[in-house]
Amino acid sequence: MRGEHRRQGNEQPPQETKGMVLDYLEERFGLSPETFKGFGLYMASKGRIYLGPVRAIGSPRIVCLGITIARLSGTVKPSTNLIQLFGRQMSRNIIRLEKEEAMAYARGDDLRLAPERLDRITPGYVALNYLDVPLGCGMLKDGSIRNMLPKAKRLELKFI
Amino acid sequence: MTFIPDAFKERYLPLVDDEDAFLASLEVLLPKSFRVNTLKSNADEVKARFAGYGITINQMPWYQEAFVSENPDIGATLEHFTGAIYMQELVSMLPPLLIREQLKDARFVLDACAAPGSKTTQLAALMDNKGVIVANDASYSRTRALKFNLEKTGTINSIITNQDLRNFPHMQFDAILVDAPCSAEGTIRKNDKLFSEWSEKSIFSQSRLQKQLITKAFELLTPGGTMIYSTCTFAPEENEAVVDWLLQSYPDAVIEPIPEMEGLKLSHPVEEWKGATFNAWVRNTRRIWPHHNNTGGFYLAKVRK
Ligand SMILES: C[S@@+](CC[C@H](N)C(=O)[O-])C[C@H]1O[C@@H](n2cnc3c(N)ncnc32)[C@H](O)[C@@H]1O
Repeated sequence: MRGEHRRQGNEQPPQETKGMVLDYLEERFGLSPETFKGFGLYMASKGRIYLGPVRAIGSPRIVCLGITIARLSGTVKPSTNLIQLFGRQMSRNIIRLEKEEAMAYARGDDLRLAPERLDRITPGYVALNYLDVPLGCGMLKDGSIRNMLPKAKRLELKFI
Repeated sequence: MTFIPDAFKERYLPLVDDEDAFLASLEVLLPKSFRVNTLKSNADEVKARFAGYGITINQMPWYQEAFVSENPDIGATLEHFTGAIYMQELVSMLPPLLIREQLKDARFVLDACAAPGSKTTQLAALMDNKGVIVANDASYSRTRALKFNLEKTGTINSIITNQDLRNFPHMQFDAILVDAPCSAEGTIRKNDKLFSEWSEKSIFSQSRLQKQLITKAFELLTPGGTMIYSTCTFAPEENEAVVDWLLQSYPDAVIEPIPEMEGLKLSHPVEEWKGATFNAWVRNTRRIWPHHNNTGGFYLAKVRK
């Protein structure tokens, strides 16, 4: 288990996979591949894609690199970390939440929004913002937003 | 009332300027402190947001990203949720800060005992996510918390390795932090069980390990590179004696003076202990006593190769 974890954290993805992730982020969120210039993508266990430093080291005991930006399971699932860090550079499929909604999101609740607020949003993963602050990822399907926030990040916010 | 062992008092009361203030400070819980994560925000933005919340925060004159607050709900703010702030003890912010200049164009940096990552995430912020930080820890389970914190703060320029530093493969780093495992006497203000496990014997065994860690780290340093050795404990065996040991092993190691910092009282190190006198260069290292700045206890040495 431990050995596997280490070995798998340090592999360059095939060009095809790399292209798939970068294309998706550009198409879906308008995030230019230029954003990641100077960094490298790595493949890890469970379909995880890391964004980390280019100059990797030779140590065999690498656990992981950088941050997880997406997970592959047929499709690309962007991570909350990705959206929190690069959300300000995104231009599409962003939903601005109201205060109460943002608090519900941080708590881990799913959201249902009035259809007119989803006018220019296509079904799939969305970036959720409060004011200009990117909060994380949701999944828009049939008019409701599934909460994609990992359990460990959920928080009962008092000040927002 | 915290029970303080007599052996503890015998060791440290002779070292402090004000015994009563020192003992009293150990009973008082630490105020909450945090650092603004410049990978995601900046001090002015955070100040404005907290003013909007009506939460009083105090900015430290020695580091504009460092804040203290009496408010217990700092952890329930939007800024904590998004990783724009990072809860971190004030004294724990000093090791990265002392190599701020070196970090600007550093290519490879080693955080030798990194978990859970307070200092790694601060290093990344000071490097603006450039270069590479190898964040190493001997404990695999602790690398999970490290990973969580690196993710949360957006520390992209990091590689986590899981290795006993003593067996670390030979590489060269421009800057190194050795935030050593220690008897943690200086953390009594947030861990009231500390004294139930406290013993001189454990101090001696930590000291042996620390001597191995500091010499190994020195070997991993590029000539001209800088290393910070730090602990959160009072025991001279784990502080001055470890730096003294480095100088015995590597007489060409330079112990650099630690600059004064506005609004933070740094104290002189111990010059002799139990009949032994330390190398005169050890006088360039610094201690932080808990009663001087309302912080935890800390020790800092800045070493150049
Ligand atoms: C004081 S803590 C580090 C705190 C961390 N620098 C931070 O700021 O969050 C010391 C760490 O050293 C690790 N450690 C202990 N022995 C070690 C060794 N031989 N090599 C590398 N790391 C070690 C421990 O697992 C522990 O996480």
